[in-house]
Amino acid sequence: MYLTKEEEKILNGEYGWGLAKAMQVIVSVGDSLNSEKLIGITHAHISGVSYGNIGEPGKKLIKQFSDEGIKFSVKTTVNPIGYDTLDYDAIPFTKIDRNYIKGQEEILRSLQKMGADLTLSCTPYYLPMVNEIKIGSSVAWGESNAVVYGNSVLGIKTNREGGPISLMAAIVGKIYYYGLHIEENRIPEIKYKVNKPENYEINEVRASIIGEIISKIHNNDKPPYLYEKLRNETTVKEFSASIGAAGNLAMVVIKGITPIKFNEKEINETITIDFNDIKKREDELKPNDKPDLIYFGCPHTSKYEIEKIAKYLKKVDNLKTQIVITSSRNEMSKIDKDALNILKSKNVKLIGDTCLIVSPFGYHGLNVVTNSYKAYFYLSKKGINVSLISLDDLEEVLRL
Amino acid sequence: MKEFTGRALVKGETEGEALVINEISFYGDVNPYNGNLVDGRNVKDKIIVAYKPRGSTVGSYIIYALKENGFSPKAIVMGKSEPIIIAGCVLANIPLVDNIDVNALREIKDGDRIIVKNEKVILLK
Repeated sequence: MYLTKEEEKILNGEYGWGLAKAMQVIVSVGDSLNSEKLIGITHAHISGVSYGNIGEPGKKLIKQFSDEGIKFSVKTTVNPIGYDTLDYDAIPFTKIDRNYIKGQEEILRSLQKMGADLTLSCTPYYLPMVNEIKIGSSVAWGESNAVVYGNSVLGIKTNREGGPISLMAAIVGKIYYYGLHIEENRIPEIKYKVNKPENYEINEVRASIIGEIISKIHNNDKPPYLYEKLRNETTVKEFSASIGAAGNLAMVVIKGITPIKFNEKEINETITIDFNDIKKREDELKPNDKPDLIYFGCPHTSKYEIEKIAKYLKKVDNLKTQIVITSSRNEMSKIDKDALNILKSKNVKLIGDTCLIVSPFGYHGLNVVTNSYKAYFYLSKKGINVSLISLDDLEEVLRL
Repeated sequence: MKEFTGRALVKGETEGEALVINEISFYGDVNPYNGNLVDGRNVKDKIIVAYKPRGSTVGSYIIYALKENGFSPKAIVMGKSEPIIIAGCVLANIPLVDNIDVNALREIKDGDRIIVKNEKVILLK
C-alpha cells in the first residue's frame, strides 16, 4: 500500500515501539485487504475491553502500550464492561469475583492513561461528541451495533474493526481505505420490502427479525436497502443491533433514515419478505411464562426509553417481576427525577457501564424477556432462555 | 523438496515441524497458558499450517499471549487469513504467510519439516 513519508517513519520505529507496532497492524491488515492507502479517522470506539472477554492476554497487551506512554491520537470512547463501576452487586443473580474487578480496573486504567474517555457504553452515537461528527467522516469502531448504526443512521463511515484493530487505529489515528470508507461501496443494489397488511406496524422485535432474515439471505457486496418505515428510535437501534449480531453486515441503507444520495431507479433487484415469515419467528420467540427477569438495554437504553419504561410501570400496582435496565452514565445523568423515583419505587435495577452479554450474568435455565434480538442471540448461547417482546408490550408481559 | 509461494503478511525466516489444522480459531481452540490445542496437540515451536480461519475477535490476544507465555508457534501458514489473525501475528511478531492454494497446502502433512522464508514455504521431503 502507498504510505506517506511520515507513515513510513512511524512504521520503521522512528517514533518508538508502540506507534510502530500499531502502524504495522493497520498496514498489514490493510495490505491483506489490498487497500491502496491509509486515511485519517476522527474518532475511535474500542470494543473488546471487558476482562471477561479479553482476559489476562488482552489486559497485558493494552498495558504494554500504556506503559510505553502511548496516547490515542483521536477522540476515543470504549465499550461497556461486565459490571457497574459504582455498584459491583447491581446485577441480579450475579456475583462479580474480586480478581475479575481487579483485572478490569487495570484495563480501564491503561485505557484512561492513553487518553480514552471511559464512556463504557455500546451506544457511542448518543454522545454529543459523536453526534457532532460530520456526515461522511471516517471513524474506526469496533462494536457491531454501533458500526451498523453509525453507517446507516449517522452517515459516518466505518468497517467492523474487531479485536485490537480499533485500538490500534485509535493509536495511529488512521485506518485502511477499504470497504465502507469507499463511497461507491455504500450504494445499495438490492432492495428489501415487506409484504404486509395495512396497519401492520414494524416494532423493534419485528424489525430485528427482518434484520435476521436480511443477514441470512443478503448475498451482495453492497449494503442492503430496507424499503420500510421503522417507527421510532428504539426500532432503528434494535434493528441495527440485530444486523450486527446475526451476520457480518456493517451497514443497511434504511428508507428515510440513511443520509445517502443514490439513484433508486438503478436498483433492479427487489426481495420481498412476507409478514407471515416474520410472524412465525415472532411466535417462536415470544414468552409463554412469567419471566424471572425483564431486561432492557441491549444496546444501552436512552434517557427517553428509560422514561418510557417508567411511565408504563407507573400504572402497574403490584410489580412482581425484577426489571433490569442497562444504560450509559451519560444517558442516566439526564433522566427525569420523577421517572427515577418511579423506577426506585418499583425496585427496577438501573445499571450503568454494563453489558450483560460480556458480564458473568445469568445461569442455565434462567427465563429472561427482553426487547433485544441481540441479547437473545448472545444470552441464549449461555443457556439462558430468552424471549422477545416490544418495549411497548411491557404491560402484556407483566400480566403473564 | 517442494516450494509454495504465498503472501508474507509478517515477514520472517524459520524452520520447523508442520502442525496441520483444517480450520483454526485461536480463541477456544488453543490454550494460551500451555499451547495445547483442543485435540491434545501442542503449537509450541511448530509451524501451524491451517487451511482457513474461523472468526473470533479475541483471537489476536490469544496469539499474543502464546508468545508472551512462551508457547508460540514458529510461524503460521494459511490458505486464507483474516484481520484478527493478522493483527495477532503482527503484535506477537510471528511470521505469517497466506494466499497459498489449499490443494497445494494439503501436500504438507502433520510432522513434515518445513521452512518459511518470507513469502516462500518449502517442504523438505
